[in-house]
Amino acid sequence: MTTHDNPPPPSQELPAAGAATMATRPSAPSPQRSGERAATAPGAPRDSDVAAPASAWRLGLRTFTENHLATVGLVILVLLVLFSFVGPLLYHTNQVASSLISQNLPPSGSHLLGTSPEGRDELGRLMLGGQSTIEVGLGVGVLATLFGLVYGALSGFVGGVLDAVMMRVVDALLSIPYLFFVVLLAALARPNLLLVIVVLSAASWLSTARLVRGETLSLRTRDYVTASQGFGSRAHQVIARHITPNLLGVVVVNGTLKVADAILAFASIAYLGLGPPPPATNWGELLSAGINNLFDGYWWQLWPAGLLIVLTVLAVNVIGDGLSDVAEIRLQKR
Amino acid sequence: MKQRILEVEHLRTEFHLRSANVAAVDDVSLTIDQGECVGLVGESGCGKSTTGLSIMRLLPRSGHVTAGRVLLDGRDLVPLSEAQMRQVRGREVSMIFQDPMTSLNPTMTIGAQVAEPLVIHFGSSKKAAMDRTLETLHLVGIPNPRERVDDYPHQLSGGLRQRVMIATALAAEPKLLIADEPTTALDVTIQAQILDLLDRLREELSMAVLLITHDIGVIAGRTDRVMVMYAGRMVESATTDELFAATRHPYAEALLQSIPQLTQDANARLPSIPGHPPDLSRLPPGCRFAPRCRYASPACIEEPPLEEAATGHLVACFHPVGVLSGAAAAWSAPGAPAGAPTSPPPVPASAALDASAALDASGSPARAGDPTPPPDATTRRLTLAAAAVLVEVDHLVKEYPVRGGGLRRRVGSVKAVSDVSFGIRRGETFGLVGESGCGKSTLGRMVAALERPTSGTVRLGGDELLRLRGADLRRRRRELQLMFQDPYASLDPRMRVGSILREPLVVQGVGDRRQQWETVASLLDEVGLSRRAIDLYPHEFSGGQRQRIGLARALTLNPRLVVADEPVSALDVSIQSQILNLMKALQRSHGLTYLVISHDLAVLRYLSDTIGVMYLGKMVELGAADDVYARPAHPYTHGLIQAIPVPDPSIEKAKRSAAVRGELPSAVNPPSGCRFRTRCPLAQEICAEEEPPLRGFGPGHVAACHFPLLSPSTDQQAGAVPVVSVASEPAPGAS
Amino acid sequence: MTGFVVRRFGQAVVVMIIVSMVIFGILHVLPGGLVRAQLGPRATAYAVRQLTVQEGLNKPIVVQYGIWAWHALQGRLGFSYKLNESVGALLSQYLPRDLLLVGTSLLLAIAIAVPLGLWQGYRRNRPDDHALSALMLVFYSMPTFLLGVILIVVLNIWVDVLPSTATNFGTGLGTDFRVLALPVFALCLGNVSYFSRYMRSSTVDNLLSDHVRTALAKGASPRRLLLRHVLRNSLTSTVTLIGLTLPYVLSGSLIIEALFNFPGMGLLFWNAAQDRDFPVLLGVVLVVTVATVVGNLLADLGYAALDPRIRYK
Repeated sequence: MTTHDNPPPPSQELPAAGAATMATRPSAPSPQRSGERAATAPGAPRDSDVAAPASAWRLGLRTFTENHLATVGLVILVLLVLFSFVGPLLYHTNQVASSLISQNLPPSGSHLLGTSPEGRDELGRLMLGGQSTIEVGLGVGVLATLFGLVYGALSGFVGGVLDAVMMRVVDALLSIPYLFFVVLLAALARPNLLLVIVVLSAASWLSTARLVRGETLSLRTRDYVTASQGFGSRAHQVIARHITPNLLGVVVVNGTLKVADAILAFASIAYLGLGPPPPATNWGELLSAGINNLFDGYWWQLWPAGLLIVLTVLAVNVIGDGLSDVAEIRLQKR
Repeated sequence: MKQRILEVEHLRTEFHLRSANVAAVDDVSLTIDQGECVGLVGESGCGKSTTGLSIMRLLPRSGHVTAGRVLLDGRDLVPLSEAQMRQVRGREVSMIFQDPMTSLNPTMTIGAQVAEPLVIHFGSSKKAAMDRTLETLHLVGIPNPRERVDDYPHQLSGGLRQRVMIATALAAEPKLLIADEPTTALDVTIQAQILDLLDRLREELSMAVLLITHDIGVIAGRTDRVMVMYAGRMVESATTDELFAATRHPYAEALLQSIPQLTQDANARLPSIPGHPPDLSRLPPGCRFAPRCRYASPACIEEPPLEEAATGHLVACFHPVGVLSGAAAAWSAPGAPAGAPTSPPPVPASAALDASAALDASGSPARAGDPTPPPDATTRRLTLAAAAVLVEVDHLVKEYPVRGGGLRRRVGSVKAVSDVSFGIRRGETFGLVGESGCGKSTLGRMVAALERPTSGTVRLGGDELLRLRGADLRRRRRELQLMFQDPYASLDPRMRVGSILREPLVVQGVGDRRQQWETVASLLDEVGLSRRAIDLYPHEFSGGQRQRIGLARALTLNPRLVVADEPVSALDVSIQSQILNLMKALQRSHGLTYLVISHDLAVLRYLSDTIGVMYLGKMVELGAADDVYARPAHPYTHGLIQAIPVPDPSIEKAKRSAAVRGELPSAVNPPSGCRFRTRCPLAQEICAEEEPPLRGFGPGHVAACHFPLLSPSTDQQAGAVPVVSVASEPAPGAS
Repeated sequence: MTGFVVRRFGQAVVVMIIVSMVIFGILHVLPGGLVRAQLGPRATAYAVRQLTVQEGLNKPIVVQYGIWAWHALQGRLGFSYKLNESVGALLSQYLPRDLLLVGTSLLLAIAIAVPLGLWQGYRRNRPDDHALSALMLVFYSMPTFLLGVILIVVLNIWVDVLPSTATNFGTGLGTDFRVLALPVFALCLGNVSYFSRYMRSSTVDNLLSDHVRTALAKGASPRRLLLRHVLRNSLTSTVTLIGLTLPYVLSGSLIIEALFNFPGMGLLFWNAAQDRDFPVLLGVVLVVTVATVVGNLLADLGYAALDPRIRYK
């Protein structure tokens, strides 16, 4: 064996062998408890499987679909949207006129899910109610998230006295139980759909603002932000390049949960009779009508609406879980 | 013959991950006798901690011992039921962990935690448990145990916490103690104290100890026998003296050589191991080290058995290293790699090369040969002496207010940096060393113009940057750049490497789009990364590669000064030496000036021309790196040097007690006079009354001590000085 | 600790001042102002003028706020012309019943959720944990009143064991505590799902923490591990959460009271909203907000008491 006569090592690095695989951090179940972590969070694909630099979208999609529950949730949500918005084109009903003769009819060939206390077709009503419910959910999700994002990021990034004042205001508003707040606002004016969105957003942006502020504060002290300031970035450049993209994940997940919360809150105010007036409808109001007839056994007025609400909120919640996997993917791989 | 306590035979531990089953520990055997300390050494991910946890059967849920036996006093622990195993843990075998802060329960008093094993195993009465707890706390050197038992962990300092941790492990007097990186989270002076304590306890209690660590210096001084692990396998096992005297496995050899030592020739390249350890789910066939091994041959595609090379010396290699000195000579010949023909390494092509190699392109300065080979020491010293001063730090002070009470009034201040002055010449590397909390990072941030001093000035090329405002300051920032400790936190996880490297150019408006991308590409070449890195995200790189990216980012704007805060302390030894070499090479090719901050005197000694030693906000000693190391004047510097574990058993075992006692006092109320006096073996009355001035001890060598270890020179300015220390005498009682 | 308490108390006061300003602000954006809101659209100009002067509403806004705040501090929250009773008197009748309803359901929720979360955390990712998690997620995704309806259907209509309304509870006509059962269950189940999810994840975090590994290395049994090492640490964070969920719990009580016709503040509030009885609306909002702020304060103090890192500061 000629071990000692070997030439000195040619270099530090091995030559770039034609391996098509990417480098990877040794993802061994290393000393401390990472084995456990790796087992509970193995969602991320290994670098080595990535032949070419994968686009962020594709990577995200893969992580999302690895969460089977989230995928099912997404499918359900798509079906519910189709049901609400495309359904009426296929299943025509008169949702404007009420009819005394067809009140509270049980399901039959002409009314697949029976009729409402006003004699309107229940299935058609569920489709119509789905539209407003989904609109409110998404509307509040977007509006509250945007406002909370701007408010929280500003508070966190500026800091100092402004931050203290802005956060005390949030604390104060958060202490008003949201439903009381919403009912109070709804009592000021009988709301239309837009007003409902605004009112629910007014109660909903607060926690987003708090979350975003906390994240901003922690992002502000990251080394890469320091580095960026170190080569002369201005505040707006730091916000645009580092803070916002890194906030996005948390904010999107939080926004998803806001959609779920908004649907529940909308159902609650509709149940309290403070939703948009008929003939507009929503699932909460349909459910409420069903509850009024609870002891009459008109099950078709109660359970379908209840089921649709629970299904939607469940779907949105599990989608939120899936999105949080996606948001954390790159951090998880540490 | 001593009684055999532990015998591990052919242990195999697997983790069931969703993607694969990986064997974190594969066919590992070891024995420990009564009163013996056996070291288990290797880089992160090599399976050394998993081995310890497997013995305790404390593996995370996804991990299982799938083969082998663990005999404790002849009884196999592997088939025991969980209930039986609980009888063993804490009573027969105990374990202590790395981070004493998180390893103690924050909501239980330390007394209750130390007493817990007694309550569990002996059902001790409250009184008996309390007595034994006090006894144990006393044994591990907790002062006034009776007053401390009701404290919570957060009320103790790091060193005391680790002592409490040891007390919890020893309360029930186990036969075997497994210490998993017990001192990694501690400062080097505290590390020495804790290791001394473990040694003493082992002798007093004639306990067997399995010491798991990545630090070969610790191994050298504290163990009787050593096992070296690589990628889940045992590659070498021998008595400590034998291993260091006659290393057989190429990995162990390379590992030993890649540590910068205090006696290192600072001008020679540090030998380093190429690449990084393999992913356990995709191991190369045969010898796992072959892809990184310089002796690898086609034979290495077979798995080398662990065979006895000499009596009691096991090694798993087909090409064991015979004589250390011969190989070392081949490695550290000055300038050897320069221009050397790059023959492909003798690795079988079929051996699945560590994929990372693909990224480390062949264009790196290291392999293509240094454009400017390292000059010899004298030339460098002379050049530096003639260079102009780039950074001037003058009477710098930084204090942070401490607020307390209900109204958050200012109740005091943390004296982070107190009246520090020094200068850095162009092209020089200035090393700043000290324990955590000594103010070195704060000083670094002020030099980098990221923080405003409370008083005093920092000048870069004669200008005070923080005097400038807005756009002027931002423009001048390109002259100084930063390198960070944590390779995971310093790169934006949501930006591709290309954008990360281009960002400084965009911010400073340097060049057009095409030129910017060209700069990025050439920077990647310079730090030895493939251009394909441009499209990847930081998480797709290893720690060492990220540190390269961080270095490349610091260089994009062609700065004059780079402030590097602990640039290698988060990296494994084999990777650490790659980065150190790269930093040196880039300094030569770019004419960089470095301010390197580190707790590791050995790293600084290798990297720096000048070293400044800080203690509790004060610069206590300053001078040429070799000089400070060879002739420390300040007792603290001496203590720091003594505390560093040296990978040489003969030196290390000769040291018998920690050179610096006690722990760092609070920076809110620093001791009067000399701040080091509370821990100084030489302290006398005057040290408490009067602050010692900086005095000269030779060319450019100053120290602040009343009782220096050298006699002060009368003429400070003799000879060619590698650094102008603009340090001036602080007014007595300035603090 | 004292510093923490003082500071936290100061924060609560600031929050209350801001809340009072918000409520006072709402009072002022009412169409036609407070007077119209109280007297209704058909009141005579004379009556309006008289009430304006009587309530000091012709004074500068700062003075008005001062007067209003001073009155509020004394419990003088105005007069409900709809119910012909002072708001203070109304609240003093309704509030105790709410304390009973919300307090019981909250305690019950904690009593169920804490052990449940602890168990789920210990059994994490096993089938029973998955099943419980799924069940909790369903509860979590359900409007409170639907939960109530399901309880009514099951426990009143199918198996007639519990009454479905609580109309006269505590009003002198009846103090049959059985009527409390369904409202308390309905209110509690939603909270159980919320708390237990949190408790579970907190338990998992703790079980994976270094200090639990240390306890295992000492030979601690699972029982000891959970009760001595995990419970207290997980509880500290859960306690804060309970404080923070108080507004949601109270919101839930509004719905539940409407559903079960339970004569609490929620029902009072709901009826007032339909009648646009603003003095009552604002008075109730003020009271529930004070309750929330106080609850948060208590939760934070509880947190401080549980966590020695804050206690010994």
